[in-house]
Amino acid sequence: VIWLARRLGAAVVVVAALTVAPIGNTQEVPKSGGMLRAVFNTDPPTLDPAQATDLTSAAVIRQVFDGLLELDERLRPLGALAAHWTVSTDQRVYTFRLRSGVRFHTGREVRAADVKYSFERAARGKRPWVFEKITGARDVIGGRTGDIAGIRVVDDLTVEIRLDRPFAPFLSLMAYDATSVVPREEADKRGATFASHPVGTGAFRFVSWRRDDQLVLERFPEHFRGPAALDRVVFRIIPAEITRFNEYRAGQLDLTDIPTGQCQSAQRDPQLRGEVAMWPTLGTHAVRFNVERPPFNDVRVRRAIAHAIDPSIIVDRLLERCVTSARGILPPALPGYHPETRRLALDRELSRRLLAEAGHPGGRGLGTLAFHFNTGDANQRIAELLQAQLKEIGIALELRRLDWAAHIKLVDEGGAGFFRQSWIADYPDPENFLTVLFHSRNVGPPGNTSRYRNPKVDRLLDEADAMTAGRARDTRYHEAEQIIIDEAVWVSLYHYSSRALVKPYVKGLERSPQSTAPEFLAPLRKVWLDR
Amino acid sequence: VAELLRVAGGRVVALVPVVFGITLLVFLLNAVALGDPARAAMGQRGDPEALERIRRDYALDRPLAVQYATWIGRLVRGDLGHSYHQQRPVIEIITERAPATLRLALAATVISIVAGIAMGALAARHPGSLVDHAVMATAVLGISTPVFWLGMMLSLVFAVTLGWLPVSGYGDGDWRHLVLPALTLGALHTGSVARMTRGSLLEVARQDYLTAARAKGLSEPVLLVKHALRNASIPVVTVIGIGLADLLVGAPLTETVFAWPGLGRLLVASVGQRDLPVVMGAVLIFALVYVVANLLVDLAYLVLDPRTRA
Repeated sequence: VIWLARRLGAAVVVVAALTVAPIGNTQEVPKSGGMLRAVFNTDPPTLDPAQATDLTSAAVIRQVFDGLLELDERLRPLGALAAHWTVSTDQRVYTFRLRSGVRFHTGREVRAADVKYSFERAARGKRPWVFEKITGARDVIGGRTGDIAGIRVVDDLTVEIRLDRPFAPFLSLMAYDATSVVPREEADKRGATFASHPVGTGAFRFVSWRRDDQLVLERFPEHFRGPAALDRVVFRIIPAEITRFNEYRAGQLDLTDIPTGQCQSAQRDPQLRGEVAMWPTLGTHAVRFNVERPPFNDVRVRRAIAHAIDPSIIVDRLLERCVTSARGILPPALPGYHPETRRLALDRELSRRLLAEAGHPGGRGLGTLAFHFNTGDANQRIAELLQAQLKEIGIALELRRLDWAAHIKLVDEGGAGFFRQSWIADYPDPENFLTVLFHSRNVGPPGNTSRYRNPKVDRLLDEADAMTAGRARDTRYHEAEQIIIDEAVWVSLYHYSSRALVKPYVKGLERSPQSTAPEFLAPLRKVWLDR
Repeated sequence: VAELLRVAGGRVVALVPVVFGITLLVFLLNAVALGDPARAAMGQRGDPEALERIRRDYALDRPLAVQYATWIGRLVRGDLGHSYHQQRPVIEIITERAPATLRLALAATVISIVAGIAMGALAARHPGSLVDHAVMATAVLGISTPVFWLGMMLSLVFAVTLGWLPVSGYGDGDWRHLVLPALTLGALHTGSVARMTRGSLLEVARQDYLTAARAKGLSEPVLLVKHALRNASIPVVTVIGIGLADLLVGAPLTETVFAWPGLGRLLVASVGQRDLPVVMGAVLIFALVYVVANLLVDLAYLVLDPRTRA
């Protein structure tokens, strides 16, 4: 239920808490009980929302904690701890009214002060950028104070958040797991060990965690939406994808990912084909240029490379058409995606002409160019394909593989000229791709590793970031995206999709574009077992 | 006994600089390796101010010599520091994982000793026969088969197809979970033990004292166990000792295939995360196991061969 209201001359948007989305097929009545056996490919580094930066940790955090809001399957914000909220006419002040009677797993009721405490605590954590738009947050992030001036506790159930400037995706940010609300007394008492003994308000509470083996949650009967259907959730931690697949086939897992290279065969397998689930997610696999480093500071060289790359071979042969070929930077599943975005077409004659114009006919004078990528079977094979494709226009590539920690350091510091770096959306908004990755204020570790600076693109992005969702905002993002593509700042190869195996008796598992296998960020409170 | 203690004491003292050297080497390798633990902890998006704060928290802003001296200072007091990644004491993390690795390594060692010596003795009994060739071919196969592949095959046959054993996991210590990982890791070393046992037994079989014993009418089993194996065991013990290093090398792969929550996986993951305190702690443990294994081999020599006590 969404309605608009005008009050006291100010345009106020009031969004009521929506009822819980239907669980599974609306024709079926959810059955209570049972244990879901899920799997991760790595041990969650932490279960503390302030410290997590990865999908595995987020998958647990989303079950154990709640934030003010959450996103539904179609990525629309819904009330979670917040019953409803208002936005001021200047789009800078958000006032959230909490549900009354919501309890932490310890039994204590949630108060507005918990929201302020949780945000200030998380701003000092590992994802401070989530809070940086709030007035005064930068001082907390920089360690100059502990109090975010822009967060005000109005009363026990009302919290007001003031932004430095309008920021349209703010509601999406309030549904991000970094904004989960934690009980102050538990977080303070446990200190660093809160990361391994989390206490929240979520539909499931923490039971046990044997590192690198399994993590167990159980239903929290007093959850404000009512008890979840499942009694328990066990997350097994299995690093080898073939072992996960074998466990699934042996009937020891209820859901898992499809191993690399088995996407088509799983769909043909008479036993598995009814259990294959694929849906697009919010990620783009790309190769990028550092536009400050020669020869990539010459747009003609970058365009020559972009026109010589044929992603269809990667999508069709290497990835078995189980991902979507990319036109641009924004994935089609992202709200704000523009279908008219066009990539630089495969045209190797044009590539050769551009190289000649840049003073490198047939690639002469370029020497051997380094292509940097992080370890991974698919990354290696993609790099080899790129090497073969660029050889056709006379460019010799040397492949340089590093592990992630070394790769990201090299890229952050501008040491790589041509490199692989994908992007997965933190929240579903074009700002999270275009502004983060291409605005000049984000050069380096904050996201713009291409070190791209274009005042026109900056202006378009600044305007769009401050606008409310709609055609005018989308148009600006589209214009900026097309400029970035035309200047060949990066070359998108494909958009990610989630490829999963789910047992037929598992019902109600959301296939949100933000939910990827094997982590499945979907709310498991909606899942039930039909057996 | 006094002689044994004296030799053991000397060896232990000699280990101190070895262990010190290993820790220094690991620390320096980490220092020169690309990668920043603070950046690695921040995921795909790094905030410059937060990065600086985390570097301060991790004491990464201090000179390398100070960082190493601090680590050694703590080590002397029995403190291995705190994990960057897990934000808890390294000793706690290692203590959690060590039992799983120990169980796996012990089971694999037992398998490799029992199976290896049995195979070696069987082959040596009929040198040049079909049995000898078959056993030695199996031994070579065991040595040369990649751990990952062998693990997958065993899992596919005995867990997925036949359903006799679990595919993976620790299973709250249930012995059935141990069988496939131990067989996989044990196979790596069984072949070496078998080959060395066969070679040593054939060498010993040519000795005069065995001919004399046989002439005295001793049965073949008694001859084998009481006279031949004891004297043939010295090189075998060496292989078993060195084999512990193989087990350590093979452990991360076996633990990965079977999702076994041991030290090997911890070490591999910690290197990837640049979690230096955990890497240092885990390497220290591996190094200690290695040098202690060598020490035990040396002591076994003293027991088995009195000539080495001189």
